[in-house]
Amino acid sequence: MRRHRPGDIVDAVVIGTGAGGAPLLARLAAAGLSVVALEAGSHWSPTEDFATDETEQNKLFWRDERLTTGGTPLAFGKNNSGIGVGGSTLHYTAYTPRAQPDDFHLHRDFGVGVDWPLGYAELAPYYDEVEATLGVSGPSPYPWGPPRPAYPLGPLPLNGAAQLMARGCEAIGLRTSPAANAALSAPYHQSGIGWRPACTNRGFCQAGCSTGAKASMDVTYIPLALAHGAELRPESFVTGFERDAAGSIASVVYRHAGGDERQRCRQVFLCAGAIETPRLLLMNDLGNASGQVGRNLMAHTGLQLWGSFDPAVRPYKGIPGALISEDHHRPADADFAGGYLLQSIGVMPVTYAGTVARGRGLWGEALTRHMRGYNHVAGINILGECLPSPGNYVELSGEVDARGLPKPLSHFTAGENELRLTAHADKTMRAIWHAAGARDIWSFDRFAHTIGTCRMGDDPTDSVVDRDGRVHDVPNLIICDNSTFPSALSVNPALTIMALSLRTADRFLARVTRGDV
Amino acid sequence: MTSAPDHRYPVGTVRALLDTAHVTAPTRKALQARLGGPPTPRPDVLGERMATLAAVCARLLPQADRDPPIDVAGTIHAQLATGMGDGWRYADLPPDEAGWRQGLAGIDQTARAMFGGDFTGLTACAQDSVLRAVQAGSPAGAIWRTLPAARFFETLLAGAVEVYYAHPWAQEEIGYAGMADAPGWRAVGLGEREPREPGEIAI
Repeated sequence: MRRHRPGDIVDAVVIGTGAGGAPLLARLAAAGLSVVALEAGSHWSPTEDFATDETEQNKLFWRDERLTTGGTPLAFGKNNSGIGVGGSTLHYTAYTPRAQPDDFHLHRDFGVGVDWPLGYAELAPYYDEVEATLGVSGPSPYPWGPPRPAYPLGPLPLNGAAQLMARGCEAIGLRTSPAANAALSAPYHQSGIGWRPACTNRGFCQAGCSTGAKASMDVTYIPLALAHGAELRPESFVTGFERDAAGSIASVVYRHAGGDERQRCRQVFLCAGAIETPRLLLMNDLGNASGQVGRNLMAHTGLQLWGSFDPAVRPYKGIPGALISEDHHRPADADFAGGYLLQSIGVMPVTYAGTVARGRGLWGEALTRHMRGYNHVAGINILGECLPSPGNYVELSGEVDARGLPKPLSHFTAGENELRLTAHADKTMRAIWHAAGARDIWSFDRFAHTIGTCRMGDDPTDSVVDRDGRVHDVPNLIICDNSTFPSALSVNPALTIMALSLRTADRFLARVTRGDV
Repeated sequence: MTSAPDHRYPVGTVRALLDTAHVTAPTRKALQARLGGPPTPRPDVLGERMATLAAVCARLLPQADRDPPIDVAGTIHAQLATGMGDGWRYADLPPDEAGWRQGLAGIDQTARAMFGGDFTGLTACAQDSVLRAVQAGSPAGAIWRTLPAARFFETLLAGAVEVYYAHPWAQEEIGYAGMADAPGWRAVGLGEREPREPGEIAI
């Protein structure tokens, strides 16, 4: 690996190596720029370090404490966070549906929220490219959305939960399809990355893939970036910036092995996710002329519905989200804006037990009896729209963590639109599970993914970055992660973050070419 | 009352799998370490509250037919002693160690108010009444005027449950063989089982 000295002025420092940071890191390196990536967490070796054990794998979650409040406080830790080279892609389910064109203009269609300053057309070529690089496995043709190229690989096998959802949906007249997943249904080769093996159906995506079949960033864009000469510095926790007289960032300050280090640079890409990105800006009073840093926190409506079935499901096997339905993308009978997708879900035992504890409050014999039916449990969940609201935001709390830095405090209360959408989905999913033969049906209300907090927009007075990710009031700072999403999109965010990451890099490189940087 | 299916594996099933090539080296290491029981908590952050926690865990996850039982309380204590939480906290609960100490003291206050004695000295039936009162959110006891009881109970219960079901003995109890995935799984469909996945035994 190429190594730069701290005194060298590198072309760019990238903070964070998840879905936002890794693709652009590879793109900048491929263009010949000198780039250094700073990652707060470790660089794991999946085969040696990843156990098929949920507790051992807690190391993949961001465990510096976050405080949470509001009417429906968001859960963090294993729900909404990630750390390590690869970020939260280390534990994402690898669900990679594209957003649909109308996801980008909710305000135009419904008069609520805000529209994106860019649309599907700008992202489509990048969706194509990301899917090819990751080796997304999915059905061709795909039943929803605009025409699109075939997926690079055919879909992964349907597990028990997926077969049950297919059965239930068919009975009530809903279309389903094998889902698009960024895990390989056959061995796959990409230049600069090499061969990756086919998925072995371990079912453990959410606690780390030990084989490299799942396209987390550490086995895709990071090796590509390294092949092009990028430097990666794990266990480097960014705390601040040094700025020059013009207000530009001259160096990034980070903590490594107990000491403070700094890296001089011409450009910074901040890709730390929708909690750490605004936290870092707020701690440093940076980029917040609009007062919008930390505002507009959104989280996908993520209601889960569980049931017990007579045949054995053994829900620990197979790609967890094997089946999808987007028939409710814009439901005809909706009394809310936007819509949701449905997906079948497999589940690991500790996660399921914790869900039963929090969701049903079962304990004692009632709990252990229920858990003895674990092998017969299957679930469905939604991934749905969430509107921005003035009461939902991230700020710095008065408490400091072990590093001496203020802990973030998130405020989140589900609004009327989220409640109506969730009620609609609850009814839909109960009908599916009844038709599939479920007993003991129960739902768990939850929110997934943190989105917003550094909104993208054309107007510097009500947004933090422009359509190219450039922070309005800092000349050489670009943000690229889920914090810049102006609206939540009713799909899982990872693929869109990666597509946006490549677009952000290309827009920056075009300025470099023009001599405009 | 619904009759949930009951499909436990024979005792020893998971332990036997751990020694086979069906389990990867990192997985074996993690699970065998857990079979050895939790490390001694240093520092001892719960002190005299540890006895209350042990009695509470014995009601949340009864293990009458297991000797020795899975040390749920000891594992929670060891986790708290590391100072490393699970990454988040309800803002209206105090920081982890202090929150647990206060909550456990609150459970004793409720026990005294309802039954005139500390939680550890009550009958199982009375202990369950105390826990139900705390879970319901407005139990007797001065501590609960500032500490939200239902939130504390949720945190306590989720913590205990996640410790319990991470243990190979509990995974045996629920028929979980997911740790034996080194060769991968081919039979992933409904009702499908591979030879190394033990059959269910009727109870």
